[in-house]
Amino acid sequence: MSAGACFHCALPVDPRDQYYVEIDGQLKPVCCPGCKAVAELIRDTGMSNYYAMREAPQPGAGRPADDAAEWQVYDREDMLAAFAESGEGTAEATIYVGGMYCAACSWLIETTMARVPGMVSADINPVTHRLRVRWHTADVGLGGILATLANLGYDPQPLAPESAARPELLEQRAALKRLLVASLGMMQVMMFAVGLYAGDFQGMDETMQRFLRIVSFFVTTPVVFYSARPFYRSAWRGVLARAPGMDLPVSIAITAAYVGSIYATLTNAPAVWFDSVVMFVFFLTLGRFLEMRARHRSIDRSTALSNVLPNTVTRCSTEGQVTIPSSQLVAGDVVLVRPGESIAADGILVDGETAVDEALLTGEATPKQKSIGDTLLAGSINLDSMIQLRVETTGSDTTLGTISRMSERARYARPTYVQIADRIASYIVVAILVIAAAVGTFWYITAPDRAFVVTLSVLVVTCPCALALATPAAFAAAGTRLAQLRLLVTNGNAIEALARSTRILFDKTGTVTRGAPVIEEIEILDNNFDEKQCLRIAAALETVSTHPIASAFRTKDNDVAISEQSVAVGNGVSGTIENQVWRLGRAGFVAANPDSKGVFLGVEGKLVARFSISDELRDDAADTISHLAELGLRAGLISGDSETAVEHTAGKLGIADYNANCSPEDKLEIIRTAQENGEIVIMVGDGINDAPVLAGADASIAPAHGALLAQTSADIILVGHELSPVATAIELSRQTLKIVRQNLAWAIIYNAAALPLAALGYVPPWAAAIGMSASSLIVVLNALRINRFGAP
Amino acid sequence: MNVLYFLIPLALLLLAGAVWAFFWAVGSGQFDDLETPAMRIIMDDDTKPPESPDT
Repeated sequence: MSAGACFHCALPVDPRDQYYVEIDGQLKPVCCPGCKAVAELIRDTGMSNYYAMREAPQPGAGRPADDAAEWQVYDREDMLAAFAESGEGTAEATIYVGGMYCAACSWLIETTMARVPGMVSADINPVTHRLRVRWHTADVGLGGILATLANLGYDPQPLAPESAARPELLEQRAALKRLLVASLGMMQVMMFAVGLYAGDFQGMDETMQRFLRIVSFFVTTPVVFYSARPFYRSAWRGVLARAPGMDLPVSIAITAAYVGSIYATLTNAPAVWFDSVVMFVFFLTLGRFLEMRARHRSIDRSTALSNVLPNTVTRCSTEGQVTIPSSQLVAGDVVLVRPGESIAADGILVDGETAVDEALLTGEATPKQKSIGDTLLAGSINLDSMIQLRVETTGSDTTLGTISRMSERARYARPTYVQIADRIASYIVVAILVIAAAVGTFWYITAPDRAFVVTLSVLVVTCPCALALATPAAFAAAGTRLAQLRLLVTNGNAIEALARSTRILFDKTGTVTRGAPVIEEIEILDNNFDEKQCLRIAAALETVSTHPIASAFRTKDNDVAISEQSVAVGNGVSGTIENQVWRLGRAGFVAANPDSKGVFLGVEGKLVARFSISDELRDDAADTISHLAELGLRAGLISGDSETAVEHTAGKLGIADYNANCSPEDKLEIIRTAQENGEIVIMVGDGINDAPVLAGADASIAPAHGALLAQTSADIILVGHELSPVATAIELSRQTLKIVRQNLAWAIIYNAAALPLAALGYVPPWAAAIGMSASSLIVVLNALRINRFGAP
Repeated sequence: MNVLYFLIPLALLLLAGAVWAFFWAVGSGQFDDLETPAMRIIMDDDTKPPESPDT
């Protein structure tokens, strides 16, 4: 049906449209005048490089918002006070930029921002999607800056100062400093160590040896006290919680080697181990740093909820209508909601009649009819006509807030899933400490002068380094490879759950389907008309409707002359063409016939055609399901939609196991029951109503085009618009788990072989340090094999 | 070899300087974004906008 994808936003282009934009001398098709304008703006400002550099776009990303005028509200003083910090002539604000998806976007945004008159600085973080701007208030307003972003096709949202604080940034800065101190310290101390070892063989004058040792001490000290501090803290927490982790032997080894080396330096003993200390700290710090960066990729929670709600609302009071930030709404306020706007708070409809789309909250694709006295939920979208709403609850007390809290609780109640590495490591940690103590005691009794050196060798050689690296290195490599396959991992633990999963559950609307209705079938009831005519007339009639079904009919160029168009809320639309009244909608509305399934087109009370509308399946949905079955996974469908709709979809996909009419609680219950039966469950879903179940599943995947709350609850975000990477992810996870097992086996064999030698005193600490590093290196190299997974 | 007694402390001083410079750079936010700069190097800022016909 489409002739290709829009050059700018990647949505399908309707072949009947004629929108093109010339980039680098070539005509590229675009889907709408908005995309054309954005693409031309990007080209005319000399930034067409953006198209060459960006990653493959998600459909719809960058498509411009229809209404840029709303941003003017933000130029007002009270809005500036709410969203920005002002200082002498300048102001500073943080803006969440929705719709950006790669580093090319951040380049485009920064470059464009730098050209805004009066802009002092603009920095964007592509990971957190936050833009920090500082500007001269005399030259431009906050509204102007937001409008510029909206014109580029992004979805800007100013953040209140308290939610703009960025703890993850401070954490990253601290971790970077620690890593740098450890790496520079390691390089220096290794250099001195080479000198000292060479001296051992060739002979070295004693003053020089002492000097090198003292210098090593000076360089090691900041590494031990600054870079390694997080390990002591975590070890101490483990001790307090009576659950000693990997950090306890690590801390003991670092402290013992450091104190022992100082002692050896002071007493002129034959060896020091400063080099072992710094190398050890460096590798561990590097591991922690990489782990932290993966963690920061997950979308932050604070912006997720507010993104569904409008930034501003129109409040009606005795003084008339005023636009205020949504955050200032209180219970009892009466708010005006225009068609197409989302509802900011839970409340009661007090004036008007409309249909609302609650798909995000309930998963039900069909809009719900609302009249005076009915309850409206925050986060749903008003479709048909202007209504007034009396606010009952706001913020976290709304249904939306409740779902969000529920997903938070589900996350904590997740079955405690013990990772292989943790399971093995906790035994090994205890074993190492016991063995080291036993060896120390033995040597202290038999040969007290060697007791310390031997014990230290045991600690270093059995250092759970390779063991500690075995899992994270493989998971990090898997994360990188998955990102190349368009899956962003926000929780590394999910990989193991994916690999062992036995069951996979899909949400329907927006996950296995595209989430947008299409005309599936046209049945002509009056032979005076053909399909093409019916479609043209239907399209003309639907031009006034904001109902989601209207998008199935909509075309860009319509030459049908139509007048007296109106929307009959909950029934359909009507209009006059060539002096005849045409209607499109329910059968009862179009021709006073008894209602039956489908959308009807009629003229002057006679039915002309029937359209079957359905939500189209994703192209690769059926293939993915059969691929998953080959992998031995049982697929299921759980949806908040009606029985018939779910049954229809399940039938087409060949899924036998489905549940319809599920509330978020029901979905969570289904997963809990499966988990109690010993199944490991993956959930794939995109709506807010899926958030609790995503958080409660063993592993969860959310498409990036879905609700942000679903994404914050998910372990993996599916970037593309295909479903097939889900199956690939499972294969890759199994491969990863295989490599983790190999790594663990190697680490254990190495430790088992080296331990007796060290305990008997045959391994000097420097050899132990080399052995430890070599075994870690092997583990890392083995893990890197994952990067070639699926490559030709 | 005695020159080492001078050179090594000098190296350590330089090292301290490097660490200080890095801390300052991190503190001033230069390392907050570790992704975009990698892209920026291969993007030309000097592509001229096409002549607009109405000027």
